[in-house]
Amino acid sequence: MQQQATLQIARPKSALLAIAMPVLTAVLLGAVIVYGVGFSHIAAAHNAAHDTRHSNVFPCH
Amino acid sequence: MLFRRIVLCALFVGVLAGLLVSAVQHWQVIPIIAAAEVFEGSAEGAEAAEPAATMAHDHDHGAAHVHDEAAWEPEDGTERHVWTLIANVLTAIGFSLVLIAAITTWEHLRGGRVASARSGLVWGAAAWLCVFAAPSLGLPPEIPGTAAAALDARQTWWLIAVLCSATGLSVLAFVPGRLRWLGIALLALPYALGAPHIDGAFAAYSDEVARQMEVLTGQFAIATAISSAIEWLALGSLAGWAVARWVRPALATLGTPATARA
Repeated sequence: MQQQATLQIARPKSALLAIAMPVLTAVLLGAVIVYGVGFSHIAAAHNAAHDTRHSNVFPCH
Repeated sequence: MLFRRIVLCALFVGVLAGLLVSAVQHWQVIPIIAAAEVFEGSAEGAEAAEPAATMAHDHDHGAAHVHDEAAWEPEDGTERHVWTLIANVLTAIGFSLVLIAAITTWEHLRGGRVASARSGLVWGAAAWLCVFAAPSLGLPPEIPGTAAAALDARQTWWLIAVLCSATGLSVLAFVPGRLRWLGIALLALPYALGAPHIDGAFAAYSDEVARQMEVLTGQFAIATAISSAIEWLALGSLAGWAVARWVRPALATLGTPATARA
């Protein structure tokens, strides 16, 4: 019944909880990757990704 | 299950978009960086120019300094292009993870088949506004050799600009009623705070070189705006398509009845 009631309108708040963990973990993983490539202060990471940082308007140098 | 689908889709979408943007940049962004680096070298060669050029750099973090002689850097030519390609693909995968997570949440909360390549284009355009346009308004695209404010301050402002824009646009788009206009205030907040700036971006160079650097900076702003727009539109449409194709079935197994999708 409850599931049918959600057909026409938005799903109940618990719907958000059902996907919160996988979705937030994915966002966190994405942020860590972008940080490592674009923002890390490690010199080798900066030099390897130098042109990518400039192209994406990540603050560089 | 859902997490694995999101990650696999992000890998697929990120690799494709990263390869595409690398090809585009190779043709229009990279030549401008190479030209700027010729001028950058001319300033470093001059004794008098060095203090002015490095003063603006963030010397508290010597290890991160671009002119650190001890640090590894790729050889110019193929090695450097390959590393740029890898960095572009990794960045695109990171962007895809966030974008696919957002589109997945949107599809799930709307409870319908809203994700598609077409709606993904709108997500991509919105993401370009948040991740490229919004920070660029305060910290314009910089060619190598540009003196700028301290790195930490700029990185912090960049993050504030991106987070405020993303939250502001989301509030405008999804919050019902008059509360949604709070989104405008969030969009304006980074500029009210103000981006960190210093005067004399090209003070280390002769007048003639400084003029050429300014011309290059203008070209660079247009080139990066175009290449990142292509990247984000590709990311958006591919992400929308991937969510519809591969994430939607995983969402359906979360306890949603089959009739909900009929």
